[in-house]
Amino acid sequence: MSARPDRVRRRAPGIASAVLAIALNTFREAVRDRVLYLLLAFALILIGVSRLLSLLTVGSEEKIIKDVGLAAISIFGVLTAVFVGVSLVFKEIERRTVYTLLANPVRRWQFVSGKFAGLLAVLSLNVVLMFLGLAIILAIRGESTWALLPAVLLILVELGIITAFALLFSSLTNPILAAVWTFAVYVAGHLSWSLKLLKGKVPEGLSQWLCDLLYWLLPHLEHLNVKAEVVHGQPISLGSVGLAVLYGTSYALAVLVLACVAFERKDFN
Amino acid sequence: MARRWLAGLLVLMAAGSVYVSGTVLERRAAARERSNQLLYLPNGRHLKVASLGQATVLADMIYIWAIQYYSEYERADRFRYVEHVFGEVITELDPHYVDAYWLGALILIVEAGELERGLALLDQGFAANPDKWILPYLAGWECWLAGQPGRAADYFDAAAATPGAPPTVRRMRAGMVSRAGDLETALALWNEILEDPGSDPTSRAIAERKVLDLRVQTDLRELRAAIERFRFENSRFPGSLEELQKRGYIRGVPRHPDDRDYDYDPRSGKVSAPEGRVLGESA
Repeated sequence: MSARPDRVRRRAPGIASAVLAIALNTFREAVRDRVLYLLLAFALILIGVSRLLSLLTVGSEEKIIKDVGLAAISIFGVLTAVFVGVSLVFKEIERRTVYTLLANPVRRWQFVSGKFAGLLAVLSLNVVLMFLGLAIILAIRGESTWALLPAVLLILVELGIITAFALLFSSLTNPILAAVWTFAVYVAGHLSWSLKLLKGKVPEGLSQWLCDLLYWLLPHLEHLNVKAEVVHGQPISLGSVGLAVLYGTSYALAVLVLACVAFERKDFN
Repeated sequence: MARRWLAGLLVLMAAGSVYVSGTVLERRAAARERSNQLLYLPNGRHLKVASLGQATVLADMIYIWAIQYYSEYERADRFRYVEHVFGEVITELDPHYVDAYWLGALILIVEAGELERGLALLDQGFAANPDKWILPYLAGWECWLAGQPGRAADYFDAAAATPGAPPTVRRMRAGMVSRAGDLETALALWNEILEDPGSDPTSRAIAERKVLDLRVQTDLRELRAAIERFRFENSRFPGSLEELQKRGYIRGVPRHPDDRDYDYDPRSGKVSAPEGRVLGESA
């Protein structure tokens, strides 16, 4: 009876440290990636340009700065998640470093989880930097950015889902196809509500069943979109933000588990 | 060496060709755009679907474009699609874009002189944003400027009923009712502001003056009506205001809020506020 907890106690630090070590390595590797800097620079430029755009308008200057800023954080975050995410696993296989890694006492799921955690850390850093850029521009105009935080948090959750999909697809296929599939999930995730409309238009039976299946399988990324609400200062309950975070993290976890399973079954020969 | 010259020449020729053909194409496109630009603007609902969660930023881009578009005064059909651009495309993408309703209405009312179309856009905006008092408030102003104080009063009424409306809105509402000729209602509204413990000192001071002023106006209106009735029935003006009371034309002789009698001339039948008074018609 007493041997079991001891075993757990001995193993736990090993699991955590392996995932952490891979995550740290992924973080370092991604931070060195030029694509990341390029995307970050573009996003920061876009946030800066929002100030110029606001000069072309009649009223709504703050609204435009907030809209463009949040859109930049979201779009460039997704681009980073896709382009960096799909190449992470592939690079390790291409350079054959994955063999060295897996020869060590590192499980395949630990490898995928570490990659996910590392990339999510990079994305979080990016989001924080972009948000700071936006906050500075708004602070110069005497505007507060605190109200935008729920939208930024949910963007990060959305990026978690996209990263999980990028890892899943990169475990199954080559980077180009993985990027296309991940983008397809992003697009479908924002249009998943339309499956309910489609269900009403197709004949009963298999078509409707397929609509239902896709509706429940695809992520509902619009649940994580509160940009309009925060920009217009509309009330958002803490409960609904909490539920959206729970939904997004649970979905990302499920996809990550699938990515681990896919990587476990991958034949490197 | 010859190869380099040839390459340089080819690059120059290609650049020249690009410049000439590009300029011609640009001119043609500009002429085409001038007439058809709005035909290619998709419906807001379709754009929203295609925006993939970035509908508000897309609304901003079209809003900025619309400002530039409607700033070109030489367009012949400038006001033809204002409702489509502001009321369907931009606000379909972002229904809470208050400035879009306001600017669209401003273009229609001030520039096109189309009050009804502009008010319809503001009504649409208020229906989508019932917490934005500014929309009926702006509609009220436009009605007032168009010489429709009664309608303006209705809009100010809606604005005043919206939570968060500043005290000015209530004052505008009472002022409009007064200008529309409904002095009793106006008096009641100013009294309401005066007696409301939540009213700010400025509003209370204005209300105090307005209440007294309206009392004088209602007194004078009542007296003039009674004098006119008296003259019609007796073929002469009453000898005094007291005669009006004695003969049952008025219940009592009103007094000016300064506790003075109203001036009355039995020869001309004219009644007015005491001379030198600030309130009433002598002001």
